[in-house]
Amino acid sequence: MNVPRWLIGDRRSRRRRATSPLRRGRLPRLAVGTSVLALVGFAAAPTAAFAAYGQIEGSGSTWSQVIVDQWIADVSANGMAVTYNGGGSSQGRKNFSANVTDFGISEIPYQGVDEYGNADTSGGREFSYLPIVAGGTAFTYHLESGGTLMRDIRLSGETLVKIFTNQITTWADAAIKADNNGRVFPDTSIIPVVRSDGSGTTAQFTTWMDKQYPSLWRAYFGKSGLTSYYPKKSGTKTIAAAGSDQVMNTVSAKSGNGTIAYVEYSYPINKGYPVVKVLNTAGYYVEPTQYAVAVALTKAKINTDKGSQLYLTQILDEVYKHPDPRAYPLSSYSYMLLPTGKNDRRMTTNKRQTLVDFMFYSLCEGQGKAGAYGYSPLPLNLVQAGFEQVAKLGAADAGVDVSNRDATKCNNPTFVAGDLSRNRLAEVAAAPAACDQKGQGPCLGAGQSGSGSTGGSTGGGGATGDGTSAGGASGGSTTGGGGTTAVDPETGLTIDESSGLVIDPETGLPAVDPETGAVISAAGESGGAVSGSVSTQIPARPVGSTAVFGGLAALELLAITLIPGLRAVRARRGGAR
Amino acid sequence: MTGRRTPSHPRRAIGRRAAVLVALAVAALATFTAPSAAQGDTGDGAVAKKTVSREVREADGTVTTLDSRTVTATVDRTTNLRGRERVVVSWSGARPSGGRTPSPYGIDGYKQEYPVVIMQCRGIDDPTLPSDEQLQPETCWTTTEIQRRSSVSRTDAVWLHDLYATPEERVDQGAGEGVDPSCYLPPAVLTQHYLPFVGADGTVYEMCSVETRAPEAAVGDNALPAAEMTGFTGIDGTGSVKFEIRTDVENESLGCSADVPCSLVVIPIMGISCMDGDAACNADGRFEPGSLNTDPSGTDGQVDPAVSPAYWWTASNWRNRITIPLDFALPPDVCDILDDRAPVDMYGSELLAQASLQWAPAYCLRDDRFKFRHNRQIESASLRLLTTGTAAAAFVSEPADPLTVTEPLGYAPTAVTGFGIAYSIDLPGNAGEVTDLKVTPRLLAKLLTESYGSVPDVRTGHPGLAGNPLNLTYDPEFQELNPGIAKTDELAAAVLLALSQPSDVTYALTSYIAADPEAMAFIAGEEDPWGMTVNPDYTGLELPVEEWPLLDTYVRPNENSACWKSVSTPWLQLMAAPVSTMRTVSNALLDAWPYTQSKCNLDPTYSPPKVSIGRGSERQPYGNRFMIGLTSLGDAERYALDTAELRTAGTGTSAQFVGASASSLSAALAATSQDETGAPFLVDYDALSATAYPGTMIVHTAALLSGLPATSAADVAQFIETATTEGQIEGSGNGELPAGFLPITDAGPTADLYGSAQIVAEAILAQKGAIATPAPTPTPTPPVAVTPTPAGSVVPLAVGPPAPGLPTSASDVGVDPVTGLPADEVPVVAPVATARTSAERSAAANNALPITMGVGLAGLVASPMLRLWATRRRVP
Repeated sequence: MNVPRWLIGDRRSRRRRATSPLRRGRLPRLAVGTSVLALVGFAAAPTAAFAAYGQIEGSGSTWSQVIVDQWIADVSANGMAVTYNGGGSSQGRKNFSANVTDFGISEIPYQGVDEYGNADTSGGREFSYLPIVAGGTAFTYHLESGGTLMRDIRLSGETLVKIFTNQITTWADAAIKADNNGRVFPDTSIIPVVRSDGSGTTAQFTTWMDKQYPSLWRAYFGKSGLTSYYPKKSGTKTIAAAGSDQVMNTVSAKSGNGTIAYVEYSYPINKGYPVVKVLNTAGYYVEPTQYAVAVALTKAKINTDKGSQLYLTQILDEVYKHPDPRAYPLSSYSYMLLPTGKNDRRMTTNKRQTLVDFMFYSLCEGQGKAGAYGYSPLPLNLVQAGFEQVAKLGAADAGVDVSNRDATKCNNPTFVAGDLSRNRLAEVAAAPAACDQKGQGPCLGAGQSGSGSTGGSTGGGGATGDGTSAGGASGGSTTGGGGTTAVDPETGLTIDESSGLVIDPETGLPAVDPETGAVISAAGESGGAVSGSVSTQIPARPVGSTAVFGGLAALELLAITLIPGLRAVRARRGGAR
Repeated sequence: MTGRRTPSHPRRAIGRRAAVLVALAVAALATFTAPSAAQGDTGDGAVAKKTVSREVREADGTVTTLDSRTVTATVDRTTNLRGRERVVVSWSGARPSGGRTPSPYGIDGYKQEYPVVIMQCRGIDDPTLPSDEQLQPETCWTTTEIQRRSSVSRTDAVWLHDLYATPEERVDQGAGEGVDPSCYLPPAVLTQHYLPFVGADGTVYEMCSVETRAPEAAVGDNALPAAEMTGFTGIDGTGSVKFEIRTDVENESLGCSADVPCSLVVIPIMGISCMDGDAACNADGRFEPGSLNTDPSGTDGQVDPAVSPAYWWTASNWRNRITIPLDFALPPDVCDILDDRAPVDMYGSELLAQASLQWAPAYCLRDDRFKFRHNRQIESASLRLLTTGTAAAAFVSEPADPLTVTEPLGYAPTAVTGFGIAYSIDLPGNAGEVTDLKVTPRLLAKLLTESYGSVPDVRTGHPGLAGNPLNLTYDPEFQELNPGIAKTDELAAAVLLALSQPSDVTYALTSYIAADPEAMAFIAGEEDPWGMTVNPDYTGLELPVEEWPLLDTYVRPNENSACWKSVSTPWLQLMAAPVSTMRTVSNALLDAWPYTQSKCNLDPTYSPPKVSIGRGSERQPYGNRFMIGLTSLGDAERYALDTAELRTAGTGTSAQFVGASASSLSAALAATSQDETGAPFLVDYDALSATAYPGTMIVHTAALLSGLPATSAADVAQFIETATTEGQIEGSGNGELPAGFLPITDAGPTADLYGSAQIVAEAILAQKGAIATPAPTPTPTPPVAVTPTPAGSVVPLAVGPPAPGLPTSASDVGVDPVTGLPADEVPVVAPVATARTSAERSAAANNALPITMGVGLAGLVASPMLRLWATRRRVP
């Protein structure tokens, strides 16, 4: 086979290009010499656009590891070498302070002193917090009935806390039945699965319990506040496992019947396991889709005191009780610990450049697939604040190129052009289905087959679990324009004769185009029952309508531009007459 | 496990064509390294020979040679090296070592006697070069300062007696001579010596304290592990290690690159040549040749400094060095982080990871192509992402569940590669690594079904395991196939580290097992010839499955451990501990650090006492490693992991085993077929020939055949055309096909794949629906039959609904078992067997936008006309 021409002559000139890897990349010596000369010339040019990268190493959160691993794989195509070990947030903070790593990832800031009275600080290492991704702490479970995995379980916060504090011990408990509007579950013992390692997921969960259900949590914990190490009481059925992967293994194993665990949403959806719909303040049971998290986090308070070491860390009290019916209560951000010191002893120019560009990618393009992996992309204000943090690396080292790396170059799905404070995802998030409301429903997947997104009458996110970003968004408010038109599970299911599929009328809704959604909401047509400015949509345009849409759009544009002109001409002619 | 394939694939019998293909396959270029890669007399490697000696100056002034040997060092690959690539360094003729330490890496290998120090140093060993281009101890990398700083009692300060050192070098720097004041250790009780490290940019790192380390120097599980090694020479004078190469990307301070030459330095430690009769300097070792040093930090683990690697930098040792120049690959062009084009997202198979890494720059660097992004994702989930518009294409080996994805898809063969059973196993008696391993489907079944007890009390306490071997190494079936591998009690020897998530790779692996009558008889409950039986929790498991289920239920009583007593997770599940990516498996094998959850910590300072289970914190000791895991052939080649030969035919002594190679992958293609044009090529595991590698997998690029936006369709079509032409040229450069893949070409055994890819690419570009083909339309099947496993098996636990009409106890009491609602409130649902379905789309809603816009258009046109009309009426 001939050597393709693009291998020989390429349009761009870059760092030490492999000019002619004729055979398996081996180069004649002459070429090496030439490229060295080229490099020298290149480096002398003030506009050298390309920075050399050095390998960076990090450790910490398994909550965010799924998406971080993806980003690492992506930027390897840009020549960046990044390694990440998910040993838990506590370990990540510890390694960073011990100068073992170049960056850490943690769900919570340094606590000053940990549960054991040991220091939990950066040990004097200069750093900044940089938000990297948002997500929901989900409750996944494994409950069998008649040999089938039960799905579509919904629970209130109080029930969840009582489960994890060993007060509710069977799935047949009346509180669970009440949460599910009378749906009965088998009398199987509940086995709470908690993290055994120091975990930010545990910290997020216990923070929420401490803030929302202080009497229940503190009675169990013996004191107030959060903990990274879940207190597992002897004599209870609670199981502890290390890392999110092993938590999922524990739940999904055959021996896992009866288990319930807290874990980042991406783990159950990748595994095809159901997650609990959690009751929010508005009285709806909601799943932690990227939309539900984005809505909830509009109430996150971010420490905006740039003088504070805690700058950009989150205060989630308002998130927990956000009155929006679409909000998922246990939503939060994950942070990178960024070494910003001028004299940081692990930093070199090349490593700093890798950190800058790894974060540029992650904050922008990398957010684009957050939804597909069970996370929620960061809104623009945090991305912008993040870039201010990243810029500190440029300030620390003049050799680091931070130019052209800012929010205006960002390819991030949450942005609303021209309005930096808005979160597009939160605006387009679907209203929950009526059957997800307290006292209604419950919404049930058809025969609970598979991961449930088969249609069932699941509204806001249903029992997706298939890793689709779209699965979640089908809300229930646009058919007929009559506000909430959620279909009762007893009657709502129909069968599509052609495909043999069970189809709920509601699940047809995702076909609404995002743009349409915007139009409708602007016109105020969408169901006022829930939220005036909200419309229903899925994030991607359905593939079928493109040509028609394009044609109509063109015609419409034509009409908009031509008709006034024609009218004017006509009017003038008329006037002249 | 989710039943996303049609009930059966009408397979073509392999006939005459197969024979032709096999013959052609032999001619195919080998992308795989030869199994005997340990011998490096290939064009890429290098050999160097040197006579090394230890001498002593007698009291009368004469110099006597105590020991002299001619050592030959071989490196299997020294050109075009890339970062973190591992090269095999082997040697012969060296003095046998004593006191082998559990780990040879970095400081951990220092408590050995007469070992071979191997390190990477900047510079070339050529006295004619300017001094800053020559290598010297100061340019040799060590991960810690301890490897170059000495702070010992005066009697142990053997460098003070070095025959070949200059008087300036024979000093106690603790006395303040020739060292940076920041490095003093007052009071100078100990005798000290410092060896600074000189970085590529000229920075001098004193390396006398943690604070004065070079930036890349760090130790800990999260830091890049030490690459420098202290190798062990066996009784026969030979030894070998796999040495990890570092470029300026991994180690900027060392700075090796295509522009900055570096060398591999091999120092056979012979012992310091002494200028006098000092006892410590003339010591000749405490350990017997070939012995182990099991406790390097204990009193019994101490070594004689004069024959240890700690003083590798002394003139006596340094003059014995063998240096081999290394040649580094030019860094490939990479994608520009500032490229603001939106990426075209393709999701799917991790098998493609190494290829897509090399391919990406071939797309992003061209304006006439697009920004290619491969997101590793579960294959079945990736196919569903096609229908939501999230993914432009999906990389899969198995077809979509027709009930989940109803849209017509085209599958273009894009890569021929597969899975490997990788291992990291040491030979007994420090004889090196195992490089040849044979496994049968039944052995894989035994490992996956958790049928080895792993620890004696579980073996005896677990129902049904008492008669089984403790682990793989005790199994007579394994021993007969792999003579010479020692029995070990390593927990990891009882399990195969595999995948926790659904994957086409798990489906392929379990299909291979399912095609083997012996393995399936074992799973069905039959004893193997040595009396071993399947873990009862797995009896009758139906294969293949897309996701391996964890079915064991036995909780280890562990009465003696307060910590373990509080653990209620089944023990063997903690041992299996599957992980989510094959990359994780590869890393675990590279580090010989299993995922077995064997650590139980109970912290009584916490109330209630904190119990934590976790991955054992120890990497397996060198010389006693035993780990086996499921990985991709691409990763195995990239990280120089050995993969096992799998049994293809015969039993017992007549069995045949085949490893992954270009020819064995080609041979497997003869057993693949597609149902219709545009459908995926599927491996028929029953039809694999004896020369075919059973782990062979074809990765396809799947995309919608209608409804895909034109730009996406063009991108995907361009990707397929490029990937199946330029992307099949072997090499490590941009756009090329990495090792571990069989090139797809328009001739030879891959011709059908190539042809099909082009047809599918055209169909995707055209977006005119299913590819016209005379193939019979699939007959509608009863939904239940879609799952590969019949109802009632243990498999469909997580996914399938009960078969229609299946009586359940719950319904007897008037509550529906599935919904939990009272029976009379159960929604009327048709039984469906589909596991997962993507979001549905309704035609009405789909047309909503065009209709709305149409109305708008009509309004725009109509309103002026209306007004005109109205105005006219008033005017007359």
